[in-house]
Amino acid sequence: MAVINFVIYLSTMIGIYSLLAMSLNFQVGITGLINFGQVAFFCIGAYTSSLLVVNAGIPVVVAFLAAMALSGVFGYIMSIPTKSLKSDYWAIATLASGEIVRLVALNEGWLTAGPFGVMGIPQILKDFISKDAYPVFYLLFVMACIIIVYFFLDKLTNSPFGRNLKAIRDEEELCLSLGKDTQKLKLQAMVVAGMVAGLAGAVFAFYIQFISPENFQPIETFLMWAMIIVGGRGNFMGAIAGAVVIQLFNVSTRFLGNYVPLGSDSMAALRMTIIGVLIILFLLYRPEGLIKEKKKVYD
Amino acid sequence: MLTIKNLQKRFGSLRALDDVSLEVEDDCIVGLIGPNGSGKTTLFNVVSGFYEKDGGEIYFKGERIDGLPPNKIAKKGLCRTFQVSKAPEKMTVLENMLLAAEHQIGEDPFSALFLRARVQRSEKANLDRALALLDMLQLLQLKNDYAGDLSGGQKKLLSLGRVFMLKPDMILLDEPTAGVNPTLRVQLMEAIKRLQEMEKKAFFIIEHSMKVISNICDRVVVLNFGQKIAEGTPEEIQQNEQVLEAYLSGA
Repeated sequence: MAVINFVIYLSTMIGIYSLLAMSLNFQVGITGLINFGQVAFFCIGAYTSSLLVVNAGIPVVVAFLAAMALSGVFGYIMSIPTKSLKSDYWAIATLASGEIVRLVALNEGWLTAGPFGVMGIPQILKDFISKDAYPVFYLLFVMACIIIVYFFLDKLTNSPFGRNLKAIRDEEELCLSLGKDTQKLKLQAMVVAGMVAGLAGAVFAFYIQFISPENFQPIETFLMWAMIIVGGRGNFMGAIAGAVVIQLFNVSTRFLGNYVPLGSDSMAALRMTIIGVLIILFLLYRPEGLIKEKKKVYD
Repeated sequence: MLTIKNLQKRFGSLRALDDVSLEVEDDCIVGLIGPNGSGKTTLFNVVSGFYEKDGGEIYFKGERIDGLPPNKIAKKGLCRTFQVSKAPEKMTVLENMLLAAEHQIGEDPFSALFLRARVQRSEKANLDRALALLDMLQLLQLKNDYAGDLSGGQKKLLSLGRVFMLKPDMILLDEPTAGVNPTLRVQLMEAIKRLQEMEKKAFFIIEHSMKVISNICDRVVVLNFGQKIAEGTPEEIQQNEQVLEAYLSGA
């Protein structure tokens, strides 16, 4: 039974991170926006949804929508400096914005309960589902989210909008010369990606039912980056594949500690080392990732 | 159509454009020649909004355009190509063409998701146009190849195709025939000439080949060290002492 519970937990976490990796792929793989502050969306989504429900008693559906909206607004704010910063400098700014969001959550105790975190986040539809079936129900809910998000992101990527984004990624000056408002397109891409990652934050918060600033360390962003590097950029199947591989390493090695004669500190360090080596191996031998960007062919 | 008055551009102490004034009239092809480093591409970069000018005025269709960002200038109908062709490498030739099409539906997330029928109709129309243009440019068999895999000459052709998709009123071409084989070069010139006659578009062309210039240009402007040293018909230019000394003596 314990094994089955663990597999369900692992799958749910893979699902949540798939949403985050798809969102990051939309920014990095499609639009070419190097965002090192992806965790900020995740944090905003988690805090917005849980605080609205726990403190204000707002219906969960509304809270989820608000989480997406606020993360989208944050995407809009993050996109503003792309106007004046070249992509690598913007990347550094995003790293800072991720930390700013976490530090606000840590220090603005009147709003976020600071380091104590938000406790007692209720389970969605708890009254209608038996306790034993609940983990499976939530896994299905996460999968439904993935299918919907995949559908929308795939449609967007294959539209004229997505074509413009890919052109920005490959050759921004050309886009300008063709009359494209690249600033506006980047803004729209960041809002879309922010909404998806905000949804992931809300789904995460209502799954683990307790969030604190500890959950939103910069390392989370780098895990998401590892996912799209391993899985492949420019397509959303790659992002999901990457989430599977990295989460398998990340989560399962946590429990391996019981069987390996190493302290938990060493195990944590070893886990990150393995993921680091994986990134290097992929960049060297399979830079396009597990799943290559699909070419759009017309007949 | 395009009027440039006393245009100045400096890079440090170098006067890349020194008080350049010129005019490109409606439906005519004007050539821009000059030795390497004479400021031709700089002039294009300033006119298309990629560089900021240091002085002077630029008018397009009677409207002042200096100071506008490149995309706004392109939207007004003044479009350019680049000397070193730019081609989004992970996009196919056909995607490149569709990218450039004017008045597309579905360029923002909302219409891309919720106006799918209209998007598909506009895509279909653009697709037909793109295929016809690719056929003319002899790129049709490469339509599903990544633009990044094309040769230098093919990229030049593709940038022409993209500009034609955009249907601007005036086109700035930066060495459109460099690296294109001689047979195709002749066809390209004919295509430009045909487009000018049929659709009454204005062209401003940087070109090193005197043959191309004398074949298609109505008028030629000569730059040297950032200054306009001569202007006239191709025949006049080829007789001009100053031009011969600066430019044609070596050729």
